[in-house]
This record gives sequence, C-alpha cells and structure tokens, in this order.
Amino acid sequence: MDLTGFAEQSSEVNSRFRSLSVVGTKTMTRVARPNLCRALVIAFRWCSWTLLLFSCAAFCTYRVSFGTTQGDSAERRAAKALKLAEAGNLQAAEDELRRAVALEPDNGEVLQEIGTVLAMEKKLEESTSFFERALRVDPGALVARRYLAANLWQLHRYAEARENLLTLLKAKPADPQALLLLGMVSENTGDYATAVRTLASVPTLVRVQSESIAALARSYYHTGEADKARRWLNELASRPGETQAVLLGAQIADEMQDYQTAETLLVSLQSNSSEQMTLKYRLALVKFHQKQFGESETLVLQLLDAGHQSGEIYRLLGWCRQEQHHHQEAVHAFQEAINLEPTDEASYLDLGKVLLAERRLVPALELSKRTANAFPDSSRALILKGSVELAAILFTDAVNSFTRALQLDPASPDAAIGLARAQFGSGMIQQAKATLERAIATFPKKARFQLELAQLLLKEAETGDEGAGTRAEQLLKSAIALDDSLAEAYYHLGELALGRNQVQRALIPLERAAKLDPANAKIHFALSRAFRRLGRNEDAAKEAALYDELKEKERPGASDPSADAPSNN
Amino acid sequence: MLRTPQQTLRPTIRNDSIFWCCRRTLQWFVPPLTAFISFVSLNCLQPAQDYSFSPRTEIFTDVTEQAGITWRHFSGESQDRFLIETMGGGVAFLDFDGDGLQDLFFVNGGETPHGKSTMPIHNGLYRNLGDGRFQDVAAKAGVDRLPFYGMGVAAGDFDNDGFPDLYVTGFPRSALFHNNGNGTFTDVTDRAGVKNAGRWAASAAWFDFDRDGYLDLIVTNYAQFSFDDVKKCELDGKPAYCAQKAYEGIPLTLYHNNGDGTFTDVSERSGLAKLVGRALGIVAVDVNDDGWTDLFVARDASPNLLLINQKNGTFRDVAVDSEVAYNSDGVARAGMGIDAGDFNGDGKPDFVVTNFNDEYHSLFVNSPSGLFDDRSVSSRLAEFSRPLVGWGIHFIDYDNDGNLDLMIANGHINRAIEVTRLDVKYKQPPLLLRNDGNGRFRNMQEFAGASFGAGQSARGLALGDFNNDGGLDAVFTRLDEKPVLLRNNEGQNHSWVGLELRGTKSNRDGIGSKITIDVAKRKLIRWITGGASYLSSHDKRVIVGLGDVPGSTAIAGEIRWPNGTVQHLSNLKRNQYHKIVEPGD
Repeated sequence: MDLTGFAEQSSEVNSRFRSLSVVGTKTMTRVARPNLCRALVIAFRWCSWTLLLFSCAAFCTYRVSFGTTQGDSAERRAAKALKLAEAGNLQAAEDELRRAVALEPDNGEVLQEIGTVLAMEKKLEESTSFFERALRVDPGALVARRYLAANLWQLHRYAEARENLLTLLKAKPADPQALLLLGMVSENTGDYATAVRTLASVPTLVRVQSESIAALARSYYHTGEADKARRWLNELASRPGETQAVLLGAQIADEMQDYQTAETLLVSLQSNSSEQMTLKYRLALVKFHQKQFGESETLVLQLLDAGHQSGEIYRLLGWCRQEQHHHQEAVHAFQEAINLEPTDEASYLDLGKVLLAERRLVPALELSKRTANAFPDSSRALILKGSVELAAILFTDAVNSFTRALQLDPASPDAAIGLARAQFGSGMIQQAKATLERAIATFPKKARFQLELAQLLLKEAETGDEGAGTRAEQLLKSAIALDDSLAEAYYHLGELALGRNQVQRALIPLERAAKLDPANAKIHFALSRAFRRLGRNEDAAKEAALYDELKEKERPGASDPSADAPSNN
Repeated sequence: MLRTPQQTLRPTIRNDSIFWCCRRTLQWFVPPLTAFISFVSLNCLQPAQDYSFSPRTEIFTDVTEQAGITWRHFSGESQDRFLIETMGGGVAFLDFDGDGLQDLFFVNGGETPHGKSTMPIHNGLYRNLGDGRFQDVAAKAGVDRLPFYGMGVAAGDFDNDGFPDLYVTGFPRSALFHNNGNGTFTDVTDRAGVKNAGRWAASAAWFDFDRDGYLDLIVTNYAQFSFDDVKKCELDGKPAYCAQKAYEGIPLTLYHNNGDGTFTDVSERSGLAKLVGRALGIVAVDVNDDGWTDLFVARDASPNLLLINQKNGTFRDVAVDSEVAYNSDGVARAGMGIDAGDFNGDGKPDFVVTNFNDEYHSLFVNSPSGLFDDRSVSSRLAEFSRPLVGWGIHFIDYDNDGNLDLMIANGHINRAIEVTRLDVKYKQPPLLLRNDGNGRFRNMQEFAGASFGAGQSARGLALGDFNNDGGLDAVFTRLDEKPVLLRNNEGQNHSWVGLELRGTKSNRDGIGSKITIDVAKRKLIRWITGGASYLSSHDKRVIVGLGDVPGSTAIAGEIRWPNGTVQHLSNLKRNQYHKIVEPGD
C-alpha cells in the first residue's frame, strides 16, 4: 500500500498553516502609532483585520481540516487495513476497507485494496466484483487487472481470465506474472501451444511453484515435446523434501502415459513410512495403467499386508482382478472396500460397473438400488441405477432414475444420454429427442450429445422418417467437427454412404473409424462389406476375419443361467 | 358401372357353391351376349369401385368357428419357463385324401414337467368337407398323438405315390407319417431313419437337392435342450424366459431320400453339420437360377445361412458374402420365419425374414451382382414391424394383382414386456402388407379384417386355397388357443391362373419348379418352394394373380421342372386351376 501521497498532503497543510501565521505577524508590525483616537481607530482596524484574517484563517483551516479529514479517512483506513492485513487480521482489514469504500466508492486504489484482501480471504466472487469496479474507474490499472485475472482463473472462468490477461499483455507485453497466469489458463483450457509459449518464456516464475511446472510439463506432453516435459518433471524430482511435487509430477507423467517417467519419479522418492503407502499406491496405479495388472496387484497386496487398508486400495485391487478376469475375487475386493468405508460412494459405483460389465444384472440391480438409497442425492448413484435398468430392459424404471439424476446434476452428459436412451427404449420417442435437443442447446460444444441424437434419428429413419436421416447426417458431421476422435460418428457416416451404395465414399469414414477404434467389430464388418462391393475380396476377407475374431471375444460365457441374462426383448 | 342382369346372381353370402353357380351362369350367357362379355366379366369378377385403397368388405374373414375348428394348442407353460413353451405350433395345408380340397393339420405342443394338461393333448387333422366346414379326423387317421413335444410340420409326397406325407418335428425327436392313401397314416420314422433323435427340431422342408426325383428332407434344429436343465432368468423381478443365447445352437440335419422308403443322414457329407447355430425357419428355392435348389435358413441370434447347392451333394454358405447373414452392424438377429418370392418382379427370388422387436423384419432383394439389398427400411417393412416379434411369414398375392404382398404372424414371448416397455405388447396383431408394385408396402390393417386389428400370440402361418376360388386363404396358430382360419374375400376380384403340378421324372409335388407366366407384357415368376414360413407347410398349388387384364389377353407360360425339363404352357384359362403333368421322355 502506498502512503506517500498522504504524507505529502499533510506537509502541504502544515505549510499553509505556517504562511497564515507569517501574514498575521507582519500585519501586526505595520500598525503601531501614538494618538488615542487614531490609536482606537487603528486598533479597531487592526482588530477588524485581525478578526477578518482570523476568520479567513479559521475558515481555511476548517476547510482544509474537513477536506483532509475525509481524504485522510479513506486513505487512513486503507493504511490501517494494510497494517491489519500484514498482521494477519484479514477480517478486520476487510472491515476497514469496506468503510474506506463507503467513504470513497470511486477510489480505484481502495477498490483494488479491498479486492486483494477479499481474494486473500478466498472470497473470490466478491473480490472479483471489486476488481471489476476498480477497472471501471481506471481501465489502465494493470495490477487490478492482473489480480482480477487470477481470481477468474481460480473461479474457472477461463475465457474471461484470458481476455483480461491479453488486455494486460497488450499494455505490458513482457509482464511476467501475466505470462505465467496466461500459461496456466491456457493449459486449463487445452490450448497447450499457448501454454507452452507463455510458460516457457518465464522459466524463473514457473520454477517457483510445482503446479506451474506441472502445467508446463503437461503442455509439453500435449504438444509432442515429451523430452522437454520430462526435463521439467525431473526438476520436480530434484527438489529435496518436496514429495508432493514429485507425486504431482508422477501423476502428470502417468496421465500422459509416460509410464517410465512416472515410475522413475516415484521410485526416486526417499520418504518416510506414511508416504511409502502413497508412493506404493501410486506406483501400483501406474502399473495398472500400463496394463501390468499382476504387478499392480502384487503391490496392492503388499500394501494390504503391511496393514494399509483403505477403500481406495481395495478398489484398485478389485480392478486389477477384474482386468485379469478373476471376476469373483474382484467382486470380493470391492465388497471389502464397501465394508471398510460404507459411506464412500466410489466403491459401490465401481462394483456396480463391474457387475454391469459382466451382465450380472440381478446383483447389479440389487446393488444399484442399495447405492441409490444410501446416496439419494447422488447423481452418479442414480446414473448407475439407470444404467443397470437400461441393461435389464427395465426402460420405464430407467427413465425415472435418469430423470432424477439429471435433476440433481443438470450438467451431467451421462444422465442426459441415459435418460434419452431410456425414453427411446420405452417408446417415448419424442421425449427422447427433446432431452437430447435440450442437452445440445445447453452444451453446444459437447459432441456426445450430437452423436447420441444422430443415432436416435438414424433409428427413426428406419421407420420411414427421411428427414430424420438427413438431420442425423448433419449432426454426425457436426459432432466430428467438435471432436475428431468420435469413431462412432465416422462409422455411421460410412454406413449411410454404404446404404446409398456410395461405396468409395463410405471407405473414408469407415477407415478413419477403424483407426480410431480398432477393437470395434462392427466397423470391420462394415469395411468388409464395402471392400466386397468394390471387388477387393482379399481386403474384405481380412476385415471379415478381424470381425469374427473380435466377435468371438465379445461372446459371453456359454449358457450361464446364473448370469441372469433376461430374455432378449 | 352398368349393372347387368348377371349382377342379380351375385351372392350376398360368399359361398363356394353359389359362386360356382354365378360362374356357370356367366358361361351360359356368353354366346348370345358377346357384346356384353367384358361388362359381365368385370361385374362378376371385379369390384364396382377402385379396389386399391378401399375394398368393399374386409379382406380376410375369420371363419374358424364356421369351419368347425375346435382344436386348441397346448404349450405346457410352466414356472420353469422352458423356451420351447413359447415357440410352437406348426400348421399345414395339404390335400391328404386327394379329393381336390385342401385339408388342415395342426401340430400340438406338449406337457412339460410342471406344465400339465387336464385333457389329452392331440394334433388336429381337419378334413375339408367342401362347404366351408372341416372335420377333425386326426384320431382316425392315426396322427393325433405324438410321443414327444411337437413343433412343426412339413407335408410332402416323399414316395411319389400321390398322397402327401407328414414330417412332424419336435423335441427330443421327430416323426415321419406315411400317407397310406386311404385316409390313414403310418408312423414310418424308424424304418425311414429320420428320427432326428436327441434334437430340438423346428421347421423342416422337403426338397430334391440331388435332382433324383425324390424329395429329400432338411430339418432345422434349434438348440441343446433338456427338461432337466432349468434356466433361471428374470425380468423386472419376475421369472422370465431366458434369452435364446442361453441355449447353445446345433447343426441342421439333412436326410437324403434313398427312393425306397428310407433315408440317409448326409449332414456331414453335405457340409451342413459344421454350421452350428439356432435354426428356426427354412425355405428351399433356386436362388441363383442354375436349376438346382438352394436353401435359406433363418437363425435366431445366429447368422442366417444362404446355402448354395454345389450340385455334388454339398452346399456352400454365402450368407455373409451376400449380406444376408447379419444386420448392417454385424449383429445376428433373431431370425424365425422365412419366405422367398419375387417381390419386385425382376424374376429373381427375394427373401423376407421375421425378427424380434426393435430389429424389424427383413426384406432382402436379390440384385444382379449376387448381393442382396436390404430393403427393409425403404419398403416400409421396418416401419411396420419394429415393435413386433414375428414368426410365420409368407408372400401372398392376396388380391391377385400380380404383386406379392406379405402376411406375418406376430406375438411376444414374455408377458412382462408390457411392464418395461410402453410400445411393445405381449399379444401383437398380424400384419397384412400390400405391395404397391413400386418397392413399398402399405399396411392394410384397416381393411384386412378383425383378426388383424387384435393382438395375438400367433406362431405358425400357412397359406392355401381351401375353397378353390383363387383367393389364397390363410391359417395361423396361436399359443394355447384355437388357430384362426382366414378366408380371402378379395382374390377373386382380379384374374388369376392356378397351377397344380405333378412331376413324373421330378418329384411328384414339383417342389423346386420355377413357373413363369406371361400375360400382357408382364412376366410373373413363381416357385414351388420347400418349407417357408415358420414350422408350417403350404398348399403346393401356385396361384398367379394376373391383375387387371382384359379377358381376351392370352396367358402363356413355362415351367422349369426340378430335373431341368422346360415345359411351355399356352392358352391358360383364367380363374381356374390347371393340372400340369411333367412331360415324359
């Protein structure tokens, strides 16, 4: 806080006082003479002048005092607030600043000060509003703008944060803090190229926080510069005592499927016994992600043997076993997780997923009902229930479950899509369409909704609605424009072309779909059809063989009545 | 349109004898009233208004009660929920006594361990008395009882003695009843060697795969099954029938007719034994027009089979290459019933297959490339059939306009379906779909008759002209209910020509023959197929609808007999049956 202005104002007042005194003294010397009447007149004049001057002086003093008191008041309060803030008494500092703002609502500096204190108190929304006010007073206030951007970033209002940072950088292109913040925002929004450019330009600042190192490393991974990413992550590893930083680095590497780096980072940590558990768990996770399920399971069992029991650990054990097709043991592990932490929803959800994947629909249904009862306000619990009901062809029940899930979490794509599927399945076609149309209107950038509606419309087109087919095609193209990795969308475009006997045209999207999702049997089936029609019999045979192989893998265990598969309806 | 004196002879009740009276009167008036011939024929044989979209009366009338049919199916439905309980029963049109009138044979189901009947379970053999009534003579004929759970029937003259025999399928065996020619049958299963022991058989078809003049027998087998193996499944918390995938499929059985009353199992030799799946429907027809009969097998959650006769006793499956094995996603649908016919008038056999709800029934149109185009959607068949579970299906030119229409029997297998779905019912209406001649169907439910507006648990479907009026009639069976016999009221309103073939070098039934009728620049192709529909067997005569042709138009044709002989036909008379005998050497 800058208090020099206030000091300057004080000395000006003092000098004013001093000049008035000098004027009074000089006036006094000039009027001394011997003649009573004249003396009286002179005295009277002197008194009058003195009185007048005194009045003026008093008046001026009053004016100055009053005005200075006001200016002093807001500034004084601000100064006081600074001292309070420095002493750690943020609430008191806030109170002072509120009074200061009340005194001078358009004082940009005060507004900025209160914004800062509120941000320190994590009252980000209110802090943001004060910074915005400060900028309305003075749009050129770079500090306020920088702090505003920081708030917006923390509030996940990335677009606004970015806008402010770009404005700031326009005025001050080399502002290191703005560059750092812009890099973080860009990383959050997936603009990795900008993140790399901006963060890399302020390496000193990046090094200060492990989060910024992590952001830069992640961005490098995304831009294909894995070596640079690793160099930065290794910086984390080289920091003594910063276990959390290394764990963060390992997490980044794991996420980006650089498992070797992740393992190296984890193994490099020398730590005490409580962190050993975390390290081992993280290592087990990395092994799991590398599909080394047996090794992952070994590590998890070591943790359990060492007495480290938690729902999270049992869940990982469950997944390891599930991936190794030890289904019963997997179920047992998930149940252990539930018994250990019965209030942790995650264990129920994981067990439900496994039962659903195994088509153990009766126990899945029972579990999902139990979960929904235990966590009645959980959208995820209801989504699980709805998913099981969908699989069990209990469409009307699924409609109810997904409807509730969507009420609890209107932004959940799984709930919206599940509801649409349940509605469609139960014959509520118009409602299904409306659900998806609403989702698209609310989330126009979410390709999944467009794909889902396209698939629904394709089914409608089967019953003679030609307009549905046209719209479906538009939606598929739109979905791909939003997300180029949608194999399903490419597949359907290929199928549409095949249906029109535009075989050559069908090949392009089908081949793209196969590249994106090589384990999808139906894509290979479609390709074999296309190749056959083109007379490319060898290619057709290859694709048909792939299809057969993949279909064989999909085939459930031979007639398993205990699997409780419902009738095919 | 002018009314003529002959109009007064028009019956108010459509009755076979009165109709014949009208026709005879017509002939009597023709010589002196030649100037009015066209009006007369129009008045007697054609409706007074444009038929296309508003028939004067319902197209089909349920005459079951009038006919005196009291037989009832018994499924053995039980708490054990054996899938077999949901899948019977078959029906056949056949002239078992050679009196020129089509009779009916109904296959009953049977008891299950906990599904018992209070009365004896018997099949029905209904003799057509000629006046619209039928009489059950099953017991007298010796075909009333089966020592197994009955499924379907294939009627065919396997020994070429002029009397159709009966092959009855079921679990855990099947049976062959030889028609003795005197109103009785003899169980010759063991002697013939066609027991198909240990198997759950569904549809069967007679056809001559090696062109030796004797009908061979192909049996579709469904799945490994035992009444001791109770599978527990639930739907909405209640016991339900398990999905078909809970049952492992088994191969087809092919029996070669040795010509001496015995058969040889040639399943292995023919290559069919390795085709494992859940087969339900079959039709035998020459797919590639090479003169040798092929097979199309509809299978349930197994890929369909298109078995091309290699002319050497073996078959090659080209279903995948022909794009009829799976749906477009590569998923094998629940194929149940099947039929073959020239849907689009291009002279090639096309196929229709019934499937489960949400899969819609399929129309595969034969194309010059050898591939089949799936026209299920463009023909509107998909639109009409999506919420339905289909069983028996047959092409039928019900109005004799020359375009093949469709009749389909539908019904779900789980009562609880209505709890989980708003749009799918347990009992479902049959479909009568009219072919508009331009590749599309129209649902004729509004005009078809009351039976088509009501939900049914229909299964087998057979076609036959039981009153010999040229209008193809129909019968479908229902689970645990009486069947429904439908009289066709519309077929007589267009010209038609009927052919009854008798092979001499070829099999006597003429199964495998290709018939071409030339009339007024139209070429109408029909086949005498083996099998077709679901669990059922049909009138072997062929009715070819001629549409709206003037009376003076010449009708000619050609028959390609199964052994390759081509016989030319000329001066065929409209609106009557012609007995055609295969020429000798």
